[in-house]
Amino acid sequence: MAEVLLKCISKRLGATSIIDCLTLDIGNGEFITLLGPSGCGKTTLLKMIAGLETIDKGDLYIGGKRYNDLPAQNRKLAMVFQSYALFPHMSVAQNVKFGLSINKVPAETSRKKLSWAIDMFELSGLEDRLPREISGGQRQRVALARALVLDPDVLLLDEPLSNLDAALRETAMEELKRIHSQVGTTIIYVTHNQVEAMTMSQRIAVLSKGRLEQYDTPRTVYDSPATRFSASFIGSPAMNFFAGKVEVHGEDAGVVTPVGFIKLDKERFAPLQAMTGRPVTVGIRPQNIAYAEHHESKRYSDTMLSVSVELIETLGDRSLVVSRGENGTPLRFLITRDIAIEPQEMVDVFVDGRRVHLFDLDTDKNVFYS
Amino acid sequence: MRMAVPDPSLHIKRAKTALWAAALASAVLLVVVPVYLLVKYSISDAASINTGGAPIPLWPYHPTFRSFTYLFSDAHFYGVIINSLIIAVCTVGLSMCLGVPAAYVLGRFRVPGRRLLLLGLISVRLFPDIASVIPITEFFIRLRLQNTYAGAILAHTLLALPYVIFIGMSAFESIPADLDQQARVLGANRFSVFFRILLPLAVPGLVAAAIYTFLLSWDEFIFAYFILGLGKISTLTLYLKQKLAYSPPQNLLAAISVLLSLPVIVFSLMLQKYMTTGITTGSVK
Repeated sequence: MAEVLLKCISKRLGATSIIDCLTLDIGNGEFITLLGPSGCGKTTLLKMIAGLETIDKGDLYIGGKRYNDLPAQNRKLAMVFQSYALFPHMSVAQNVKFGLSINKVPAETSRKKLSWAIDMFELSGLEDRLPREISGGQRQRVALARALVLDPDVLLLDEPLSNLDAALRETAMEELKRIHSQVGTTIIYVTHNQVEAMTMSQRIAVLSKGRLEQYDTPRTVYDSPATRFSASFIGSPAMNFFAGKVEVHGEDAGVVTPVGFIKLDKERFAPLQAMTGRPVTVGIRPQNIAYAEHHESKRYSDTMLSVSVELIETLGDRSLVVSRGENGTPLRFLITRDIAIEPQEMVDVFVDGRRVHLFDLDTDKNVFYS
Repeated sequence: MRMAVPDPSLHIKRAKTALWAAALASAVLLVVVPVYLLVKYSISDAASINTGGAPIPLWPYHPTFRSFTYLFSDAHFYGVIINSLIIAVCTVGLSMCLGVPAAYVLGRFRVPGRRLLLLGLISVRLFPDIASVIPITEFFIRLRLQNTYAGAILAHTLLALPYVIFIGMSAFESIPADLDQQARVLGANRFSVFFRILLPLAVPGLVAAAIYTFLLSWDEFIFAYFILGLGKISTLTLYLKQKLAYSPPQNLLAAISVLLSLPVIVFSLMLQKYMTTGITTGSVK
């Protein structure tokens, strides 16, 4: 177990920057996720921590020691690849023991570790099978077992669940959480799947184009996205965005948007007043727009809008309504499935002013994020 | 009521099947007939060859292994087989020692000028053997390699090496890079990665390359002839040529040919087993 510290880590590939001065601190025993779309540099970053990719600039500290120039095989880390990378010519037991035998762990300890891992990952009966003779879920567990028998300081996981089907993925997520709470290893988890990031990790590092967009708890990342990217990448269905301008109408401070004036909460009145006239990007989650008839308590900060329903997508317990507001501006919101509205209908919705996010036009940063 | 009118497309289908069968049969004949003739002649008695005008029988009147017993009673013939074996085995050893590391590096690392290197390698085999044999023999004579095992082994290695490198390279290339990286993260240095992960996984391809090299050396005539001549060290192919010069009975020549092709047939069957892919399935994904 160890803490990991990345200090302005950079990597270039020719003229393109893969990782751009990225700083990240990961606490001892913490489970964090590097979240971002493909090509954002998250796997490269993981491989830089593992020592499989060189670090062009910046410093990497693990457990207080500078690791930049330490070869991969001398770092006390373990990694599970997206492909699991099981050695095809070795049995399950040989795969699990590979790291132990390479590191010349005494036979007695090695045997104990193996039986611990077989138990922990429910692999008993599979010891002598070859990787091609076991299922995808079992392969994933073998890969995890092989990594964890080494008691690594840090466990690096590169999209380990992406090859599993939906049902198996859910069990695997619970499994990973359980394992983390039992062994307490520092875990760095790479994924493009926000559900995995949200469910499992204590903190999420949102990455885009090799830059850190936000690094915070899943809740904070969801509730107060630091940047427009962070806001658009996390949350499902995707956030509504409009161009807007800050204005104060008497007692109310808010933004003028193509769908009309949207009020913000009272707490933000003073700062909004100070930035009157400033053009911004307005972001509102579909979850924060409520169908008026179903709206129990009308709050001060709610703004009512009239929209025409275009189509309704059933999501199961809820439905996503794709509608158009004034000037044909698209607006998406969620309704419970017992609400019967039809396409072409005009309906009223309330926008929750406390959950309206404003982003700077140039920097795409949340104007209220500190 | 439905009339029993034959479907016209059925005729076309049948004709196609017949055509395919005919094509396959002729292909099989093309392979089988020479082998049949060879075996038949090797076990023929003299009367079945010199029939005195009567048609040559499809199967010998009195099949006999006399040609083989004659060959194996010739002490010189044993020496020839041993020579061929020594040269072939040493060629395999040398080609693998030189070729496998080269194949590993070319298949696993970004080597500057890789394409040019590969082109240079294959260019050795772009010329017909008969064209390259003269300068090489000249060169070998100057190095005093003429009439030596070393000369024949080096010449055969020269011929086999490009194949060993190319086959070996694709064997190493087909191993997912994740496996090396995974082994390294688990604590293996490059040496262990090579011997514990890459080499075992490349074995099928490398065995194929080794068998190919063995056969190449075993069958090789032109270089053996120029470098060893008809001197002290004689190989099977040279022995055959030597016997031909004395217009020997056809059954004896056929017997030598059978012995010459035996390892080819045996190894080809083994090669098929090793050529089967799928060893790396289950490692990734």
